[in-house]
Amino acid sequence: MVNILETNNLVFNQMLFYPDIAIKKGSVVFIQGPSGAGKSTLFRLINNTVSPSEGKILFNGVDIEEIDSIDLRRKIILVGQSTYLFNKTIKENFIQFHKYRETKPPEEREIKEYLNICCIDFSTDTLCENLSGGEKQRIFLAIALSFKPKVLLLDEPTSALDSNTADCVITNIVNYCKQKGITLIIISHDIALADKYAEQIIMIGGTDDE
Amino acid sequence: MNSGVVAISIWRFLMIYLLLLIVLGIMKKSNIDQSKLLFIASVRMTVQLVIAGFILTYIFKNPHPAFTVIYILSMIAFAIHRVLSKNKGLNLRFKIAIGVSLSLSGLAIILFFVIAVVNQNIFNPQYTIPLSGMIFGNAMTGVNLGVKTFRESIDSERSRIEALVNFGAKPKHILRPFVNQALETAILPTLNSMVGMGIVSLPGMMTGQILSGTLPMTAIIYQIAIMIAICTVVCLAVFGSLYFGYRTLYNDRNQINYII
Repeated sequence: MVNILETNNLVFNQMLFYPDIAIKKGSVVFIQGPSGAGKSTLFRLINNTVSPSEGKILFNGVDIEEIDSIDLRRKIILVGQSTYLFNKTIKENFIQFHKYRETKPPEEREIKEYLNICCIDFSTDTLCENLSGGEKQRIFLAIALSFKPKVLLLDEPTSALDSNTADCVITNIVNYCKQKGITLIIISHDIALADKYAEQIIMIGGTDDE
Repeated sequence: MNSGVVAISIWRFLMIYLLLLIVLGIMKKSNIDQSKLLFIASVRMTVQLVIAGFILTYIFKNPHPAFTVIYILSMIAFAIHRVLSKNKGLNLRFKIAIGVSLSLSGLAIILFFVIAVVNQNIFNPQYTIPLSGMIFGNAMTGVNLGVKTFRESIDSERSRIEALVNFGAKPKHILRPFVNQALETAILPTLNSMVGMGIVSLPGMMTGQILSGTLPMTAIIYQIAIMIAICTVVCLAVFGSLYFGYRTLYNDRNQINYII
């Protein structure tokens, strides 16, 4: 299988030095390492919301600095640790985010499918401001899935979820990504989740363990 | 009708400062620890206005285009300095956007007002200097409020901005709503004062003209004209500052610099 992402001698701000990484298309990868090792920054480097001070990141063999940054971010979606939802209904949130991206929002049926993947079973007319942190996190994930990315970067996606819900969400997302050929990269401290789903584990600020 | 304003004797004038004792008393009673600021503000206002009075007296007695130009340039420099000192941490290009917008919009409106509306020579200090003071003073307040609102909303909505950037939205689409919201906040006080004018308040310029013997209808025409000019300059200066300023917050890789 070809590598969808590769990094060479990646350095950020002369503070974070990354090992060379190669990630195969369609694989499920977990990134682990101590706090402050630069895991979240690695994600920001990969979707080019920041640029490296040294080194290169290749997406499908092309240096990402040579790819239109907006096109790149539409293919490599990053779901960060802090989620954000507008004070509107779930359905209106899907529409609003797609409007910002200038893309066609999904139909009601599709929205429900994305919500089901994220283990959300309530009406799309529910107001988001009344939901719990974990519910908001899952809706935010569902919205990210609706953008149909090539690579999905999830930074601590289960931090606000109990272990059963976390397992449900990750199982469904892994299955969905496998089915659609999406490369899934997850930062998680949850060793059980990584043991269960990871095809590759990358240690940042430690040793490689594949 | 009295043809001129009654001059206030210095002793009677000093009585007005007694009113500040009321302010001081209320501040003490309400535990507002700003008595030092009240003192400094009163002294600064008095000294600055007395100096301005001497300078204007000299300029009016010895009118020269250079004096008018220097006075206006000083006003512009002070207005820009006030806005920038209240909004520390802006990047250099944002500061330039503010400076250029404030100067050009103020100058354009004052030129139009004095030459086209009042039909006077732009170097006539009697018209250009006081009108410039009102125009630049209000533009400064508006830009200050607009930039402050913009910065605060960017700070408080950082998670929204990050989410949208990560999802592949263009910075232009992400930041423009913040510009629009800040512009609205900055022009609302001017619009509200226009709504209440004549009923709730008789504005300063009109009051001054009436006191000095100008016919009320003439004073009113000036007041209407200056209010429309102020509304326009506030709108133009804030729009220019934020419209050209927000573009300095991201680079050609569409990476947003949040530190503003």
